[in-house]
Amino acid sequence: MKIAIDVMGGDHAPTEIIAGAVEWAKKSNDELLLTGKEDLIAQTLQNYTYPADQIHIISASQVIEMDESPAAAMRKKKDASIVVATRLVKEGRADAVLSCGSTGAQMASALFILGRIENIDRPAIVAAIPNRQGSHTFLVDVGANVDCKPQQLLQFALLGKVYAGIDLDINEPRIALLNNGEEETKGNSLAIESYRLLKAQVGLNFIGNIEGRDIFSAKADVIVCDGFTGNILLKAIEGLANEAVQSCLNELGKIPSFLSRFDYSRVGGAPLLGVEGISIVCHGSSKREAVYNGIKTARDCVVKDIVKRQKLALTQSL
Amino acid sequence: MEKFFEIARKILAEQLNIDPAEITMETTFEEIEADSIDIVEMIMALEDMYDVEFPEDDLEDYPVLGELIKALYDYLEKEKK
Repeated sequence: MKIAIDVMGGDHAPTEIIAGAVEWAKKSNDELLLTGKEDLIAQTLQNYTYPADQIHIISASQVIEMDESPAAAMRKKKDASIVVATRLVKEGRADAVLSCGSTGAQMASALFILGRIENIDRPAIVAAIPNRQGSHTFLVDVGANVDCKPQQLLQFALLGKVYAGIDLDINEPRIALLNNGEEETKGNSLAIESYRLLKAQVGLNFIGNIEGRDIFSAKADVIVCDGFTGNILLKAIEGLANEAVQSCLNELGKIPSFLSRFDYSRVGGAPLLGVEGISIVCHGSSKREAVYNGIKTARDCVVKDIVKRQKLALTQSL
Repeated sequence: MEKFFEIARKILAEQLNIDPAEITMETTFEEIEADSIDIVEMIMALEDMYDVEFPEDDLEDYPVLGELIKALYDYLEKEKK
């Protein structure tokens, strides 16, 4: 398997991204295509021993910065590391792409280079949230789309249904809409109209609204929200988990095992659903362990053939 | 320019799933809830159609559709000469 990695994106790029890639290369037979500034990558790689036939440098002279308008930057910077990495997937030279850089730039690259799956307007990022039953609840969207329309939330639900179905191996995942109350009439106009669409959608096991406090209760398999809300929620969960870890270390001198389930570096990456290729979004603050696990997520998505299965399921649903 | 606008209007209406009649030269992107992705997508569709690459001068920063269309059209005309 070949995985393209944008090593220029992220708070700890390129050092930690390359370190994570090297670790993965040592423990697998996969080939990793590192896109970015050639000299910098070559120089960083000198610090490691690694299987040379598994790590390849693909030159990309530009970087899309976090403060740039993603869609415009993607169009202008045709030799940006995320653009080059995504193009490798489009050209069939890689099976998946992974980045810790600008989520917007990654989304725009995936949308414009890989293309969208039919009947999907915008891709969405799905995150696996640990739940009370020792399984996961999938939250969609956690940051690809800041402003959403009701129709898009319906599409996120359909994408989430497919992904949760694959991951949890269930036929009819329970879909809920994140809201500030359980009643049908609760919420802002986006929530009320989205509720109506979700309820009317044939073949969707929509169980209604769910409140923030029930995210971990395993009442739903998929929770749908706009990317603005989802991103804030995800980071709040991570922040709370970090605080809990610190408090346990301070007061108990150890970390209870259940808390480690909330460590995002163990998950590593989240797939961008709804595009014609596998694109794994990693946290901007990812270090080597998160990158390593992000590559693992990419591999899992390739093995599970999530793109083909999304397309097939969506054709049947819409 | 009218024909060029008609093509752009059709692309945008399809992208946004709205009635083309809702779009005029005076329409702002905010009014039709078109974000930067929609605008760039429309520009790229026009680029493919006319086999041209519009210059990198923040074309997606025009708030009014008509202003953007005029800028793109002017560039096309200049390229023809």
